[in-house]
Amino acid sequence: MKGRALYIQLLTRYLVPQAGKAGLLAFCLFASIGLQLYIPQLVRAFIDLASSGGQGLNRIALTFLALALANQLLSAASTYLSADVGWRATNLLRADLFRHVLGLDMAWHKDRTPGEMIERIDGDVTSVSNFFSQFVVRVSAALFLTAGVLALLWREQWRVGLALTVFTFVAASVLHRRREIAVAPTREEREMSAQLFGFIEERLTGLDDIRANGAGRYVMHRFLDIQRQWFAKALRAWWLRSAIWLSMGILFASGYVLTLGLGIGLYLGGAATLGTVYLFFNYMSMLEAPLDQITQQLQEFQRAAAGLRRVRELLGAERTVRDGSRLLAARRGHRVEFENVRFRYREQEVLKGIRFRLEPGETLGLLGRTGSGKTTLIRLLFRLYDATEGRVLVDGIDLKEMRIEDLRQRVGLVTQDVQLFHGTVRENLTFFDSRIPGGRILEVVDQLGIRSWLEKLPEGLDTPLQASGSGLSAGESQLLAFARIFLKDPGLVILDEPSSRLDPATERLLNNAVDRLLEGRTGILIAHRLETVERVDKIMVLADGQIVEFGSREALAGNPASRYSALLRLSADRGPGLTLDEPLERLSE
Amino acid sequence: MTTWQYMRRLVAWKRVEFLWNALAWGVFHLIPLAYGLLVKGIFDALSKGESAGANAWTLLAILATAYASRQAAFLCGFRLFSRYYLSVEAFLRRNLLDYLMRARGSRVLPESPSESVSRFRDDVNDIAAYSESWIDFGGFVLYGVAAIGLLLYTDALIATLVSTPLLGMTLVMRRLSPVIRSYRRRMREATARVTGFIGEAFAAAQAVKVAGQEESVTAHFRTLGDERRKRALADVLLTEMIRGVNNGLVYVGIGLVLTLAAAKLRSGTFTVGDLALFIQLLPRVTSVLTFVGDVMAQHRRVKVATDRMERLLVDAPPGQIMDPRPIELTGPMPRYVPEAREGEPLETVEVRNLTFRYPASEAGVSNINFQLRRGDFVVITGRIGSGKTTLLRVLQGLLPNNSGEVLWNGRVVEDPATFFTPPHSSYTAQVPRLFSESLRDNVLFGEPAEDRLAPAMDLAAMGPDLAALENGLDTLVGTRGVKLSGGQIQRASAARMFARGADLLIFDDLSSALDVATEQQLWESLFREREATCLVVSHRRLALRRATKVLLMSQGSIAGQGRLGELIESSAEMRRLWEEEEEEEGRGPGNGAPSTPAR
Repeated sequence: MKGRALYIQLLTRYLVPQAGKAGLLAFCLFASIGLQLYIPQLVRAFIDLASSGGQGLNRIALTFLALALANQLLSAASTYLSADVGWRATNLLRADLFRHVLGLDMAWHKDRTPGEMIERIDGDVTSVSNFFSQFVVRVSAALFLTAGVLALLWREQWRVGLALTVFTFVAASVLHRRREIAVAPTREEREMSAQLFGFIEERLTGLDDIRANGAGRYVMHRFLDIQRQWFAKALRAWWLRSAIWLSMGILFASGYVLTLGLGIGLYLGGAATLGTVYLFFNYMSMLEAPLDQITQQLQEFQRAAAGLRRVRELLGAERTVRDGSRLLAARRGHRVEFENVRFRYREQEVLKGIRFRLEPGETLGLLGRTGSGKTTLIRLLFRLYDATEGRVLVDGIDLKEMRIEDLRQRVGLVTQDVQLFHGTVRENLTFFDSRIPGGRILEVVDQLGIRSWLEKLPEGLDTPLQASGSGLSAGESQLLAFARIFLKDPGLVILDEPSSRLDPATERLLNNAVDRLLEGRTGILIAHRLETVERVDKIMVLADGQIVEFGSREALAGNPASRYSALLRLSADRGPGLTLDEPLERLSE
Repeated sequence: MTTWQYMRRLVAWKRVEFLWNALAWGVFHLIPLAYGLLVKGIFDALSKGESAGANAWTLLAILATAYASRQAAFLCGFRLFSRYYLSVEAFLRRNLLDYLMRARGSRVLPESPSESVSRFRDDVNDIAAYSESWIDFGGFVLYGVAAIGLLLYTDALIATLVSTPLLGMTLVMRRLSPVIRSYRRRMREATARVTGFIGEAFAAAQAVKVAGQEESVTAHFRTLGDERRKRALADVLLTEMIRGVNNGLVYVGIGLVLTLAAAKLRSGTFTVGDLALFIQLLPRVTSVLTFVGDVMAQHRRVKVATDRMERLLVDAPPGQIMDPRPIELTGPMPRYVPEAREGEPLETVEVRNLTFRYPASEAGVSNINFQLRRGDFVVITGRIGSGKTTLLRVLQGLLPNNSGEVLWNGRVVEDPATFFTPPHSSYTAQVPRLFSESLRDNVLFGEPAEDRLAPAMDLAAMGPDLAALENGLDTLVGTRGVKLSGGQIQRASAARMFARGADLLIFDDLSSALDVATEQQLWESLFREREATCLVVSHRRLALRRATKVLLMSQGSIAGQGRLGELIESSAEMRRLWEEEEEEEGRGPGNGAPSTPAR
C-alpha cells in the first residue's frame, strides 16, 4: 500500500465516524482565520480615521474588542475540538491495534517484551496522533492564514503583495532546509545521550564489582570520555538547531525592514495611508507564527510517517493459527488424543512424536524436567501453537477444525505464575468481563471453599490488587486462578502446580480446590511434588520431547524397573516433600 | 543546603562564563525596547508629513541595525550558553557518579539503578534549566521594568489602566498553577494506567487467550483510553481557558488603548506612533510577568531535585553535588592515571562480632567471628539464604555493618569499603556484571599492567571462550555487545579479579561457571603460581577438601568452623550438605585423589 493511500484509509476509518465534530472544527478554524485577517483592517481604519480627524473611533474600538474576544473563543474551541477528535481517533486506532496484537500467535508474543508492546501500541500511535491533531489541523490553518494574508496584501498593493509572497517562499524554503540539516545531528545527540545514560545505569548496577575491585577511578575516566563525546555531539546539534532560530531572526528582520521600507516609500509617494502602512506591518507580523508552524510540523510529519509505518507493520502481522468451524459440545469430561504429534520451533524439534489417549474423566500426572516439552504439549492443547505434524483431538474432533472460542471455553488452565492485572479481585477473576454476574462469582467462591478468605479482604470482591500481585501469596494467586477456571466450568482442566513451597493453610485450601476442580473432569497435572501425583489415574514421563514412560499409576508403581517407582523409593529415603525436578534430571541421564 | 546556596555554588563554579552569558542575553532581551521606540518614531515621522521623509529612512536604517545587533547578540549568546549549559549538566553528573563510585563508606542505592538514572537525567536537567533562568533573569526583568516605564512615560493614565488588569491576571494565574499541575498529574496518571495495562495484558497474553477473554480485555483497554481522553481534554480546556483569558486581556488592553486614545489622538496628545508602541509592548509585558512566575516554580522544582540527589548520595557532605573540581570536556583527553596503590601485605584478617541486618527484614548476618592468615583457603558453605553472600559483602564494606569490626594485621580497618580493594583484596560477585566495553577492558578494568592479562585469562580458564569469540579480547561484550553465557561472565570476572594482583581473593560461588575438573585445575594453578589467600563461598567437595578452614553458615550466623573433618564429625547440617554433594563429585573426571590443602 502506498503511503498516501494509507493516510486516506486512516482518515476515513478513524475520522469519518466523527464527521460532525470534524465539521464543527473546520468551521471554528475558518471563522477564526477570517477574524484574524479582518482585525488588522479595523486597526487600519482606526488609524486613518484618527489621523483624518473623523468620527466613529469608539465604535471601531468596541468592534475590535468584540471581534478579538470572539477570535479567542473560536481558537480555544478549535484547539479543544482538535484534541477531542485526535484522541477519539487515535484511541480507536490503539484499541484496534491492541485487539489485533492480542489475537496474534503466542510464537509472535514470545519474541516481544511487554515494554516493546507499550512502545508500539501507545508510543507509535501517539506520534501518529500528531498527524491527526497537529499536522492536519495546525498546518492547514497556518497555510490558510498565510494564503489569506498574502491575498489581502495583493489586493491592497500588488507591490507589497509580490514582495511578501517572494519573502514567504524564500523564508519557508530556507527554514525547511535548515531544519533538515539539524535532523541527523539531533538523532546522533539522542543516541549519544542514550549511550551516556546506559553507561550510568550499567555502572550503577555493577556498583559492587567496581568498588570491590578498586576500579572507581577507571570508571570515572571512562565516564569522562563518554561525557566528552556527548558534549561534542550535543554542542554540534545545538548549534545546528540554533541556526534555525538565527535564520528565522534574520529572515523576519529583513521582512520587517522590507515591509516598513515599502510602506514608507508608498506613503511618501501618496500611494498608501498611514493606516495602510501599519496594516502592512501588522500582516507581516502575522506571517511569523504560521511559517514557523509549517516548517516545524513538516518534521513532525516525518516522525508521524515513521510511526505510521510501524503501525501498519503491526496491523499486517498475521496469525498462523486459523480458526475452525466445528463446535465442541459442553460436557463434564472430554476425551483427549494425541496422534503422533511433532512440533518444531525454530529448527528445533521440541516434541518428537507424542501419542497417547486420555478417556473422559481420567487424570494424568505429567512429569519431566524443564525443557522436556511439558509446556509445549499443553500449549498445543489450547492451540496457542499448532502441531507441525500429527493431530490433537478432543472428543474426536481435530483441534484445527474446531472453533477456537469453543475450545478455550471448554479447557481451563492454571499456570505456575498467575498473571494479575492492576484492578479489583472481581476484574481479575472475570478478565474485566462485566457480563458475569456477582452471584455467579460468589457461587464459585463457595465451591472453592475460599469464601472466608474473600471476606477477610477489606472490600471483598472489589478489593484492588496490584499487577505484581503484591499483597497476595503465590498460593492465593493460584486460588484466584482456580476461580477463573471455575467460572468457565470446563470439561478439561490443566494444572501446573507451583514449585515453590506454600504455607500449610493455603496448601490445604489449594488441595481442596484441586479435588473439586478434577471431580468428573478430565485433568492433566504438571507435578513438581510426588504427593501431587498420588491422586492421578495415569502417569506420563516426558524427556527430551518423547514419552519415556506412560501407564496407569498403579501399574507403574508396581513395576520396580519404572522411573515412577524409582522416584517413590527416593521419596521413601528422603522423607516427605520431595521435589521432583532434581531427581528427574538425574533419572534422565 | 538551601536552593540558594546550591545555586550560588553553581554560579561560582564558572563565574566568568556565567557573567558573559548574563551580559550577552541581557543585550539580547533589551534590544526589542529599541524596536518599539524606532517603529514609533517611524510612524510619528510619517504622520508629521513629507518633510520628515528623510527622518523616517534614517530611523529605518537604525531599526535594521538594531535587528542585526540582536541577531549578533543571539549568535554570541548561544555559543556561550550552549557550552555553559551542557557543561553544567556534565558537571553535575560527574559529581554524582564520582561520589557513588569512589567515596568512602558503603554505597547502597536507595532505588533501583534505572530509577537512580533519572537523578542523572531529569533532576540534573531541572537544575541546568534553572541556571538558564538565572542567566535570563537580569535582561528579562530589566526589559519588563523599562517597558512599563516607557508606557507610563508615554501616557501614564492609559498605561496604568491597561497594565493593572494584566498584572492582576498574572497573579491569578500564579494561584491557578497548582490546579493546572493537578490536571496535568491526573492526565499523566491516566496515561500511566493505559501504558501499564498494555504491559500487563501482553505479559498475560497467554492467560487472556487461554481464557478466551480477548474481547473483554480489549473493552477494558477502551475504557481506560476513554478515561485518558477525558483527562487530556480537561487539561486542554483549562490551559486553553487560561491562554484565552491571558490573550483576551491583551486584546482588551489594546481595545482599551484604542478607546482611550480615540479622543487624545484627535487632540494630538497621543500619536499613531504611541499606539504602535503600546500594541508592540503590551504582550511582552505579560510574558515578562509569566517568566517571573515560572522562575519561582523552577526554584521549587530544584529543591525537589537536590533533595532527591542528596538521598541518592546518602551520607555525602553538603556541597558534594557542586564539588567545584574542573571537568575537561574539550581539549586533549587527560591521560588515565591509575590510583597509587600502597598496600600493607596481608598477614592476618580477623573479623569480630560483625553484624548486619537488612532494613525492614530480619535477614542478615549476626555475630560473625573468624580469622584467616596469609595462604589460608577459607570456604564458607551453607544452604541458600544462610547469609554467605551477605557476609562477604559486609566484610568488604559493600553493605554497612551495624556493629563489629574487621582487623587487618591486627589493626582495625576504618573504612572497609575503600580498604578491601586492590592491592589488599579483590572480589568476584555471585552475579557479576560485565560492562559494554571490550573484553580486554572488562578484564583489565583500569589495571595498568597489561602483562597480567594473559595469565589471568588462563587462570580463569577463559582460553576456549576466547578462541570462540570472533574478535578475541577486542570483542565488545555487555548489553550492547556479544551476549556471553552466565558461566562465561563469571569466568571473565574471575579473570578480572586475578588481574588485580591482590593479596586476598574473595570468590562468591564459582560452581555455575566451572565444571568440577576446571575448578580443580583453577585452584591448583592458582596455588602453583603464587601464594594466594582465598575466601570462597562454595559447596563443592573439592573446595571443601582443600579448605584450611570451613565456615558453616546457617540462618545468618556461623554454625560451626574448623577443618572439614571436624565439622563433619560435629555437625549434622555439615554432614547433610556433604552427602548432597556426592552425586556431583561422581561426575568429576576422576583425576586421582583430591589433593591435600595447600599448606
